[in-house]
Amino acid sequence: MDANSNSPEPQIEIQIESQIFDSLRLELRRGCLILAVLAQLRAEHYGYTLRKALADQGLAIEESTLYPLLRRLETQGLLTSQWREEDKRNKRFYKLSLAGETILAQLLAEWNSINDSVNNILHHSDQRQS
Amino acid sequence: MNTTNDLLARYLQAIGDHLPAATRDDVLAELRANLQAQLDDRSEELNRPLTDPEVAAILKQHGRPILVAARYLPQQSLIGPAIFPYYLMTLRKAAPFAIIIIFLANCSNILFIHTLPELIAGLLRVLGQLVPDLLIFAAWVTAAFAIAEYVYAHHDAKPFGLSWDPTKLPAVKPQFKGKSRASRIADLIFHCAWMVYVLEIPAHPYLILGPGELYLHMLNARPAPVWHLFYAAVLFLLFFQLVTKITAVFVPAGLWQTPLNFATKVLSVLFSAWLALTNVYFVPTGPATNLKFLADVNHWINVSFRIFLIFVILDLIVEGWKLRPSFQAKRLVF
Repeated sequence: MDANSNSPEPQIEIQIESQIFDSLRLELRRGCLILAVLAQLRAEHYGYTLRKALADQGLAIEESTLYPLLRRLETQGLLTSQWREEDKRNKRFYKLSLAGETILAQLLAEWNSINDSVNNILHHSDQRQS
Repeated sequence: MNTTNDLLARYLQAIGDHLPAATRDDVLAELRANLQAQLDDRSEELNRPLTDPEVAAILKQHGRPILVAARYLPQQSLIGPAIFPYYLMTLRKAAPFAIIIIFLANCSNILFIHTLPELIAGLLRVLGQLVPDLLIFAAWVTAAFAIAEYVYAHHDAKPFGLSWDPTKLPAVKPQFKGKSRASRIADLIFHCAWMVYVLEIPAHPYLILGPGELYLHMLNARPAPVWHLFYAAVLFLLFFQLVTKITAVFVPAGLWQTPLNFATKVLSVLFSAWLALTNVYFVPTGPATNLKFLADVNHWINVSFRIFLIFVILDLIVEGWKLRPSFQAKRLVF
């Protein structure tokens, strides 16, 4: 049996690495989530169905993050909303506003540009290594 | 009301307790619709009504009510990242001045204490009072910057730090390389000359008293025995310094010199405290002495030494501050 198998140090290192990854992942996802929400709201959704639609496409968002985000984006004029009855229940439906469409187009251009740059960097880095 | 609705109503009520009245009903209605849809969805998947633990699990996963409510509130920091560096810089630059001013202001109370226990207690009180006074100082600075943050966040103020000019930055500071060997030798020579001067004082008191020696004769007074002991202590300190200065000539300044210099300052404070605690500096030489006048002279010399003691303690605090481990500002996550 390995003498160090009971040592807590590797576990602590793994835990710290995991914390760093979680923190960086959160930063990376933050901007992408807004982009995804705006893109998904080109079609009308209420909170719960929007969350499900995003999750079905591989982008799960916590409810406590998504619902306040929708209100913030509406306050910023990027979304419009209206209360409407569906399945005998009142629900608040959100949709991308005109201003939201313009901003979405700009953000998508920016996102594509960043994506291309990162891919170029990775491509050149791979070439240098090989 | 069934238990699902009861749990949901209690959960929404708990969130509502932390929401502003203006938006509470709207936010809760939207949350109710979303959560209800989620519960219905889950119920359809299981093809049966949800049990209490299942409803509780969904609500628990949604988040603690106070935290859920917080996400609907405007995101504001007491001091945000744009202003925080200026706040930290102000605290760090102003703290030494605040310490000096607070210390001097509090010291006025111990100038006229006559007994040793009272003086020690007084000094401890002054040092102890530094902590709450510094906290109050920090609280005022924090309050001022919190107001600045509020104005900055609510009035579309111009972003901080935009109007600066790289050409107006201070010149590069020369790197400290320690004293040169010639400088250390010169330091030793001056110290030896100073020691010769001090050693000659008992034989030639005018070297330190100047014209005051004649005045002492006229007053029919002479130095008290305490000066003999003090003189011996000063000689000890000078020899201690002589050893460090001789060592410094052969061994360049290193880590060893800083604690030795600090120890010298501690000794200076102890000797000054000793003089400040002495009440009699000059004694009468005969019946012709004006005792009341001599008592006044002793009293004011004592007050002078106490003032001097305050400054050497301040000097010690400043030196101690310089010796503190360098503060590495950690990255702050907002």
